[in-house]
Amino acid sequence: MASTFRWKKAAPLALRLCRWGSGPLAMAVCLATAAWSAAQQPGIHYWHHGNMPPGDIAATRLQRGGPVAGYFQPVELVAPSGATISVAEGGAFGEPMAAPVRVGLAIGPVYRIRVMNIPFYQGLEVFPTIEVIDRLYTPRGQEMRFPIRVELTQEDLALALDGKFVTRVIYLEDPEKALPVAQADQEQSWFEAGPGRDPLAIADQLGRPVAILRMGARLPTGTEDFDPGFLFGCPALVKFPPPTKLLGPPPRQALPLESDQPPPSEPVPSQSAKANRPGDRLAALPWNTQ
Amino acid sequence: MRKRVAHHATVELWPRIGRTAAMALSVLILCSCRGPAGPTAVSGPAPPCPAPGFDTSADAYAMAPPAYVPAGPPGMEMGVPLPYAPAGPWAPPGLGGCPWPSDEYLCDGGDAMPAAAVMPDWEVRGLNVEDTVAHYDTVDGQTVVEPSNRVCVYSPRFRAVRQVVGVQQNKQADRSIGMYIPEKLAGHQDVAIAGTSTQQLQAERQVSQAGPVAFRMRQGDGAISTAIGPVEFHNKFQPYEDFSAIRSGLIEMAEMPFLAESTTAAIVWSNNQAVQIMLDKQRATVAVDVDQVASVYTIDEPPARPKLRVIKVASTQFAEPGDMVDFTIRFDNIGNQPIGNVTIMDNLTTRLEYVPDTAQSSIAAEFSAQPNEVGSLVLRWEVTDPMKPNDGGIVRFRCRVR
Repeated sequence: MASTFRWKKAAPLALRLCRWGSGPLAMAVCLATAAWSAAQQPGIHYWHHGNMPPGDIAATRLQRGGPVAGYFQPVELVAPSGATISVAEGGAFGEPMAAPVRVGLAIGPVYRIRVMNIPFYQGLEVFPTIEVIDRLYTPRGQEMRFPIRVELTQEDLALALDGKFVTRVIYLEDPEKALPVAQADQEQSWFEAGPGRDPLAIADQLGRPVAILRMGARLPTGTEDFDPGFLFGCPALVKFPPPTKLLGPPPRQALPLESDQPPPSEPVPSQSAKANRPGDRLAALPWNTQ
Repeated sequence: MRKRVAHHATVELWPRIGRTAAMALSVLILCSCRGPAGPTAVSGPAPPCPAPGFDTSADAYAMAPPAYVPAGPPGMEMGVPLPYAPAGPWAPPGLGGCPWPSDEYLCDGGDAMPAAAVMPDWEVRGLNVEDTVAHYDTVDGQTVVEPSNRVCVYSPRFRAVRQVVGVQQNKQADRSIGMYIPEKLAGHQDVAIAGTSTQQLQAERQVSQAGPVAFRMRQGDGAISTAIGPVEFHNKFQPYEDFSAIRSGLIEMAEMPFLAESTTAAIVWSNNQAVQIMLDKQRATVAVDVDQVASVYTIDEPPARPKLRVIKVASTQFAEPGDMVDFTIRFDNIGNQPIGNVTIMDNLTTRLEYVPDTAQSSIAAEFSAQPNEVGSLVLRWEVTDPMKPNDGGIVRFRCRVR
C-alpha cells in the first residue's frame, strides 16, 4: 500500500497520460500535425503539359462543355512587316496574305499556317501550328474588334529557322494580376519561361490560356503536295476581311503668304445656327485634341 | 512489507491492439489528407463575378470556391474524365448582376468586401482596388460611407509565355586506347522509317534567354500626393452623361434603360417616401380621437435621414488598350439634413491610368491623387462646403486603358 502510494506520487504526469490516454494522445498528435502537411500535395495538379502534341489540350477543352463547340473564334495573326501568311485549307495552303491576317478558328482542331517572305530570310518558310483552346465572350457586334492576337515575331521565326522549337502560349490576362505596364501599339507583351518550367501552367496562373502557337517542328516532305497529317486534316475556318486602319484627319493647308486673289470669305452663320453646331460644343471640351 | 499490485490486462482502457489500430488510422489520415490552402497569389477580396477559369487540372474544380461553377460535365470535380453528356442548354454561372466573364472586363465602382470604413483619425481602411465610395459627416457626428454603382468596360488584354528548346551540339576529342577488330557480327541495327509524324523531343540541354527581371512601369512625375486646386468645370455634357440624373440629379424613369447601359448592378435610387400631408413644409400625422368626430393633425419632427446618392457612369462600354475612357460621378444629398466633409474616393484598377490634369469638379473641392498598391492611383475629391438637402455636384476624370 505504501509502495503503491509512492509510485503514484512519484510518477510524472506524462507517464500518467501515457498510461491512461496513450491512444487518444497519439491520435491527437497525428491529426494535429496533419494540418501542416500541405507540402505533401500541391495546390493544383495539372494534367496537361505545354509540350503535349498539338490538339490534345483543345480536345480536352471540348469535353468540358460550354458554348465552345462550333464557335469560330476570331484570331488575328501578326507577322513582321513584309511577311505573308497563308492558312491550310482544302488540302493545300491558300493564297498568301499580307499580315495581319484575321481568320476564325474553331476550338479543337489544329491549324497549320505557312509564313513566307520573312525579312532577312528570303526564300525560307516556317510552318507554325495554332491551337485555339478557349474562346472569348465578346458582346455581340464587337467580335472583330477584340480578336485573339497571335504574334509571329522576327525573333521567334529566326529561332525556328535556326532549328529551335518555339512554344508560345497566349493567355487572357487577369485584370487583378495585370502588370501596371501600358501595352504599346502593335506589340504584345511576353516573357520567357525558364528551362524545365511548363509555359501552360505559368499562363494558367496568370490568366486564362486561349491559344498555343508552336513552330520549328516538322517540315513538309514535298513542296507542292502536303500529306493530310502535316496539315492536320485541313479543318474548316472562316476568313475575315483585314482590319480597317483608321486614318487621322488630313493636315491643314496653310494659305500662301502672297496671293493676288484675296482669301475666300467664309459665310457668317446666323446666331442660332452657330449655337447648334456640334463642332462648337466639342471644341469647348478640354480633352478634345482633334 | 512490500505489496505488489497486480496489473491485469483486461482492465486496460486502451489495449495494445487498440493503440496499434489508432496509430495506423492516424498515419493513414496523415498521409491522405490535404493541408489548408496556401495564401493566394492575389490578396484581397474575391471577385464578385465568376470567370470561365480554364484550368488544365480537374482537381482545380474541387478546390474552386463555390462561386466558381465549373462549366463541365458532372464528375469532372472528382478528377475522372467522363464523356460529355449535355444535360440541357448551357448557361453561364450565376451572374448576380455582373457582366460575365469577369476576366474580360475592367470594372470600377462599388465597394467590395471588406467594406470601406473611416477611422477616427480620418484614415480610410478597406478601400480596395476598383472601389468608389463617398463618405460624409452627419449633423449628429456620424461618418457614413456610401458606395457608388459598379461600371464595367469590356477590354481584354493578351500576353504570352514563350519557351524555346533546342539541341546543343558539342565537340569532344577522344584518344583511342586500343583497337578492336570484330571477327564476327556482334549485332545489327535496323533503321526504321517513321510512319507517323513525330515532334522533336525535349532536349536535355536547353538554351533559353533570361526573362526580364524588371519591367518598366509608368509612374507619375514628382510628388506622390499633391493637393490640386479645383479645375474649371465645363458645363458642356458629353453624350454618355447627358442624363437628367447627371445634369440635375433628378432621375427619370424613362432614362433608366439608357442609364443602365453604362452602369451595372444599378441600385434603386428612387425615393418614394413622399409626404402625404404638408403643413408649413413639414410632414404631419393623423391622430384619431374617439371623443371628437374631426381629425386632429399633429406636426412631428421627421426623423433624421442623411443620405448621399452616388452615381457613376463611363463614356464607353468597350475599350482597347490605349483608348481613353471618361468617368463621371454624380453625387446628391437626397436626405433631409445637411452633410459635411463630403469626400469622394476612387481607387483605380491596375489597367486604368489616370490622365493628369483631367479631373474636374462642379463645386469647390480639393483634388489629390495618391498611388495605390497595384501601380495606379487613388483619386480623392474633398468638398470644401457642406451640402444642404437637394444639393449635388459632378466630378469627372479621364483614364487611359493600359
